[in-house]
Amino acid sequence: MSDYTQKIRETAKKLLSEGKVDAVIGYREGTLPLMAEPCLVKDPEKVDQLVFNSFCGVNLANYLPKRKDRVAVVAKGCDSRNIALHIVENQVDRERLFVIGAPCTRMVDRRKVAAAVGGREISGVSEQDGKLTVSGPGYEQTVDKKDVLQDNCSICIHRNPVLADEMLGEKLPEQEADRYADVREVEAMSPEERFAHFKDLFSECIRCYACRNACPLCYCPTCFVDESKPQWVGKSIDPTDTMTFHFLRAFHCAGRCTDCGACERACPVGIKVRQLTRKLEKDCLGLFDWEAGMNPDVRPPLDTWRPEDPEEFIK
Amino acid sequence: MGVEPGRLHFSWISSAESTKFVDVATKVIEEVRALGPAGQLAKTKAQVA
Amino acid sequence: MRFLKIAKDDWTRGVEDLKKSFRVFGPVKEKEAYDFRLLDKGVLPDFSFQNTRLSPKSTVYPQSEILFEYTLDESKADHHVHKVPEKDYSPRVILGIRPCDAKAFELVRLNFDTPEYKDPYWLSAYEATTKVGLACDDPCSTCFCTSAGSGPYDEAGLDVLLADRDDHFLAKVLTEKGEAFVSAAGWNTEAPDAEAGFEKLAAEAEGKVPGGVPTDKLADKETVALHGADFWEDVAFSCINCGTCTYLCPTCWCFDIQDEVKGAEGVRMRNWDSCMFPLFTLHGSGHNPRATKVDRVRQRFMHKLKYFVDRYGRGIQCVGCGRCVSSCPVNIDIRRVARLMNEFEPAPEKCPA
Repeated sequence: MSDYTQKIRETAKKLLSEGKVDAVIGYREGTLPLMAEPCLVKDPEKVDQLVFNSFCGVNLANYLPKRKDRVAVVAKGCDSRNIALHIVENQVDRERLFVIGAPCTRMVDRRKVAAAVGGREISGVSEQDGKLTVSGPGYEQTVDKKDVLQDNCSICIHRNPVLADEMLGEKLPEQEADRYADVREVEAMSPEERFAHFKDLFSECIRCYACRNACPLCYCPTCFVDESKPQWVGKSIDPTDTMTFHFLRAFHCAGRCTDCGACERACPVGIKVRQLTRKLEKDCLGLFDWEAGMNPDVRPPLDTWRPEDPEEFIK
Repeated sequence: MGVEPGRLHFSWISSAESTKFVDVATKVIEEVRALGPAGQLAKTKAQVA
Repeated sequence: MRFLKIAKDDWTRGVEDLKKSFRVFGPVKEKEAYDFRLLDKGVLPDFSFQNTRLSPKSTVYPQSEILFEYTLDESKADHHVHKVPEKDYSPRVILGIRPCDAKAFELVRLNFDTPEYKDPYWLSAYEATTKVGLACDDPCSTCFCTSAGSGPYDEAGLDVLLADRDDHFLAKVLTEKGEAFVSAAGWNTEAPDAEAGFEKLAAEAEGKVPGGVPTDKLADKETVALHGADFWEDVAFSCINCGTCTYLCPTCWCFDIQDEVKGAEGVRMRNWDSCMFPLFTLHGSGHNPRATKVDRVRQRFMHKLKYFVDRYGRGIQCVGCGRCVSSCPVNIDIRRVARLMNEFEPAPEKCPA
């Protein structure tokens, strides 16, 4: 059992039995190897289902808006940045929220693990010292965790929570990373090439909206694709409609996306949807020196105006 | 996302600058006309089964 | 019913011959996953898959399908006439469909082929389709077909069942369509003594499928009590209401009808719908009887594991393919929910004070 698991249970038990919160939002052991399921615990006697491991990739900030009760939530670095954004955007009340901060040990991409063991059936997995021991019918294989991280985790530069009422451990060292190598490749394309690239990227989309629904930013009461009076975008898998959904969704996340990777992690057909959001992240960094969710007291650049905002694009 | 250069224009025009508005609008129309109808992200009939 | 032996040396030739009289759909690996695709000349189905990422239901029931086109332009002679676009209902074969997915077509058929109404689009495509199954000797850990009224050698819905035997396939030809298929492929080596071997293989394979998903008591449950069970909030908590489970499911059949009009020209199409979506069963008045996440999650499981059971009396609306289990982004597991529902006992009513 990881140290975090033990501490989360202790904290949850204390908060619930002292009546400081009505519920704790955390993760419980998945029914599948390499998975953990978000769960809500209200009973202090049931905190032992809570766990923390390398498979807690779901962003729990997604479960906070519209809650009326007092909750505690387990938050990795990215989750905490989304909580900060929720606070700025008036989606959660800081006073009613208890943040259990988890300096993040980086999350594993289960598809990469599956590929690393050659697509063989995985019936069990254990982790120790940066290694995953994966077992299945007739085999056991050890893989380096760093080789099977979620793409966003491998380039993450903010693994430590930006806000917390209690921390599960000491802050962990941050890394330096080139976050935009693939974005630069797309930027270097001609408009025609770029359009073809995106058309191909989204060609397998089945419009299930897992990317949107896994995203803590997507809390609109009615998403533009679900509007029917007027209907802005068609609902079929027509390529134009599908791309319109993805482009507009990404633009709606501009200056707000924390690159938590929830969208890509959720996609059942493996579309690299972060290519769009990271281009916007790169632009916001370059144009406004802005990283989303680092401070719950500062409004994001796209809903503020400053005299020094760049305006070279305006003729 | 692959929109051709020249199809999108931004301009600051004050309500007092009517002549600038005419000039910009004329120029934008000319440039976009020269490009012809947009082929990308333009849908006439759904491409489905 | 008869048995044939198809030597793998003769496989490529047979498949190419098939393509002269059938459109052949088969599993192919693209990027990281397998899906059913129309196979071009020279492309063979890739049988190294366990199961495909998406179910093959779209080969008969496309995710988006135009039902008819129309024009409102009264200067045109055919204005206000519903014109069905030309569709290709020439013979097609799904080569290598897993038995669970083939069985799923039989369940979906209950919706599209009823005494009162026969859906022309679904039925025309279905009748044009020959389903050649590939028996499952290596089930996934998320499979539970044997708990869901199917099995790795289930013949329901199939025209031919193939078993992969090293250097050859054993084929069990089950229907007239199956006969036409083997004849088009030119496979005719009889294997009269294969029956016992087939049964042994089936028994072995069934033993490998993870079981333990009980459904035996679902029919006896009182619907309203089950609907009001206390576990739904916990089951639904993690759900993000995406359409992954329903779109990957081979048995989900719900659709939504949309008109798309540009100027005076329009089409009416139907798209797969999902009970997970907020628009599902949204009334014109703005009222939705399933307005919340818990309502929608409960609807999915109650439909599959209770309403369907009661309505049709032929088991659950699930074939145990495990796609929703393995692809759910938040690990909601129908096996766990089935267990909760099957074991549910309503709390005894309290005596009035």
